[in-house]
Amino acid sequence: MQALLRLAGWIDALNERIGQMAKWLVLICVLISAGNAVIRKAFDTSSNAFLEIQWYLFSAMFLLGAAYTLKHNEHIRIDILLSRLSPRKQAVVDILGTLLFLLPMAIAVLYFSWPVMTQMMTSGETSSDAGGLVRWPVWALIPIGFTLLILQAAAEIIKRLAFLQGLIPNPAEKHTGQIAEVIAQNLDSQPKQENKA
Amino acid sequence: MSPEFMAPLMFASLILFLLIGYPVAFSLSAVGLLFAVIAIELGFMPAALLQALPQQVFDIMRNDTLLAIPFFTFMGLILERSGMAEDMLETIGQLFGRIRGGLAYAVIFVGALLAATTGVVAASVISMGLISLPIMMRYGYDARVASGVIAASGTLAQIIPPSLVLIVLADQLGTSVGDMYAGALVPGLTLVLLYVLYVFIVTVVRPSAAPALPPEARTLREDNGSSGTPSLLALLAVSIVAGVAYDQFHYAATDRPMDERIIVSALIGIAIAFGAAVVNRVTKMGLLSRAAEKVVFVMVPPLMLIFLVLGTIFLGVATPTEGGAMGAAGAIILAMIKGKLNLDLTRQAMNSTLKLTTFVVFILIGARVFRIAFIGVDGDAWVEHLFDSLPGGVVGFLVVVNILVFVLAFFLDFFEIAFIIVPLLAPIAAKLGIDLVWFGVMLGVNMQTSFMHPPFGFALFYLRSVAPKSIKTTDIYWGAIPFVIIQILMVALVIAFPKLVTHALHGPAAESTQTTEEVLQSLPQDTPEQTEGDGGAALMEGSGATLPAGAEPEPDPAAALLEEAGKSP
Repeated sequence: MQALLRLAGWIDALNERIGQMAKWLVLICVLISAGNAVIRKAFDTSSNAFLEIQWYLFSAMFLLGAAYTLKHNEHIRIDILLSRLSPRKQAVVDILGTLLFLLPMAIAVLYFSWPVMTQMMTSGETSSDAGGLVRWPVWALIPIGFTLLILQAAAEIIKRLAFLQGLIPNPAEKHTGQIAEVIAQNLDSQPKQENKA
Repeated sequence: MSPEFMAPLMFASLILFLLIGYPVAFSLSAVGLLFAVIAIELGFMPAALLQALPQQVFDIMRNDTLLAIPFFTFMGLILERSGMAEDMLETIGQLFGRIRGGLAYAVIFVGALLAATTGVVAASVISMGLISLPIMMRYGYDARVASGVIAASGTLAQIIPPSLVLIVLADQLGTSVGDMYAGALVPGLTLVLLYVLYVFIVTVVRPSAAPALPPEARTLREDNGSSGTPSLLALLAVSIVAGVAYDQFHYAATDRPMDERIIVSALIGIAIAFGAAVVNRVTKMGLLSRAAEKVVFVMVPPLMLIFLVLGTIFLGVATPTEGGAMGAAGAIILAMIKGKLNLDLTRQAMNSTLKLTTFVVFILIGARVFRIAFIGVDGDAWVEHLFDSLPGGVVGFLVVVNILVFVLAFFLDFFEIAFIIVPLLAPIAAKLGIDLVWFGVMLGVNMQTSFMHPPFGFALFYLRSVAPKSIKTTDIYWGAIPFVIIQILMVALVIAFPKLVTHALHGPAAESTQTTEEVLQSLPQDTPEQTEGDGGAALMEGSGATLPAGAEPEPDPAAALLEEAGKSP
């Protein structure tokens, strides 16, 4: 179990770092998109590369962010019933859900996207528009993103098993959801007060 | 097992799987995969279909419309911390405070302005809860009235363009975002009026529930104690006259589109007001009252942002997605000017944006997986059959759909309804000859309730978290109910008077020189380089702008795929 936990720790660190980098894509994409609109109007010129890079970055955002979001337990749930269960039962639900719901889909996408990507790489296919970008990097994001997601899923299972054995505190606990975060962000500009959202 | 059983069984499994409480995105795809495998085993569905999974993901990746989700989210988060809402609430609250119900009107007014600036809910509810609610309580507002007004005004962001809800609905219905914006404008403003009307009725029936600010609480005034309102009204009049004069003088002989004339003239008026306020501030001439100067300074940032987002979209300078990016860039600049921008804030905003975008897109991916299998087991025919037996034709369909969505909104998030339920309803609506823009705006108004009805409405949740302890949770719930009723009334109005929405699309304005519709149509020509034929880039399709009632929606990508897969052995 200790070895597995160490592995989970590595995966956590990897996806945390990737998530920290991926979030900058948001800002870069905003600047490119706004800049593109202004330049098109002002100089009456544009390039397909600038249009395509926007959805390349968008794709990178959510594909690289998938594992990170899973790590932070922020894929949205309908927790009307779940929230009434004990933390241990919630952990069991998460383990089974990851095994039966998440992993089959992620593995299927990974399995079927691999040949497409290798084919794109060998053919060097580019966008059909003039000045468009080469396609394989964006296709490569699919297997990369889903591999990271599968790794994180494994880490989540390990952490919850360890929790059930009493080895670590509840991995789901530290994140009460994005709402608490939003509120915390707002409150820190106010005089300090206890916020137990 | 006979194939007729599969679709209902699949739907039942979906509900069951979702209720387990595992993340929606993966529960959806699990149901989809499970039934795809069963259907393939039983021979209902070609096995090649599973291989198309990456293509489904790829379709979502290159969907230019969805790119607006991170843009507007990021904009909302930056704006929330820029202090703009706070400044507006304080100043407008002072301005309206002296009349009965004034603070409530100020909240509605600011809520509507914020809604026109950005497309997300959280920002305004939290600011208003932190700033206006304590003031309202201190001066004797009824807790229910106060919290209801705040929660409801916060949700206006869902329906007043540039709303994220409208973007996502346009994507799912295959209409153009520009059309949805144009169509939602009048219903959105009508809602604002209905809220105002409600507050007015409250002040008449129960004056003590929404009193005016007492004199000692009115701090924004002249040294001699007068309010300074005449000065503000004079400035307003001068600005309007200047704008109209510019319009008459500059556009007299031209046939520029109405949108452009309105937007440019408004800009001129705002520039004059701003210029006057700056001169007044710098020279300390005292031409303007304090109130007038203050109001101009707090109103300019939101108006400029509205211009950056909506103005550029309606002028055809930017696509709705780019409008989001322009707004986000504008919010960054605003926060910078106000000295509120720092690395920490930017990081937090990017972080939340990344996570929100990811979970939303993954719900869509899950919904696509579900949809392939659902079409594979003939689910569409089953859903259509369910609605077949309804009496009342189009109206019957709309009433049932709206009740359905209203009830579902108690349990499902807006995104889940848009991605799971709307694709099921859209083909039926199209077949019945329902204008999909009208349909979309109607659903938008309806789903706005999902943010404010007790006990799961997000707006209420946000409000509870920032409301003073003295306000009971039940007060917040009860306060929201009149607004939920207003919302239902509005849905009924949209059903009864389709013109509220469709006038902007193919209404009587057609004989004037150039209409909104033509401007919207001209958008694609302004951006000829974006013609890659992305399935979701509805705006680029051009055809959406004049979508006549009964036109086929854009082909469902999943359905097209299925057809294709069916052909190949």
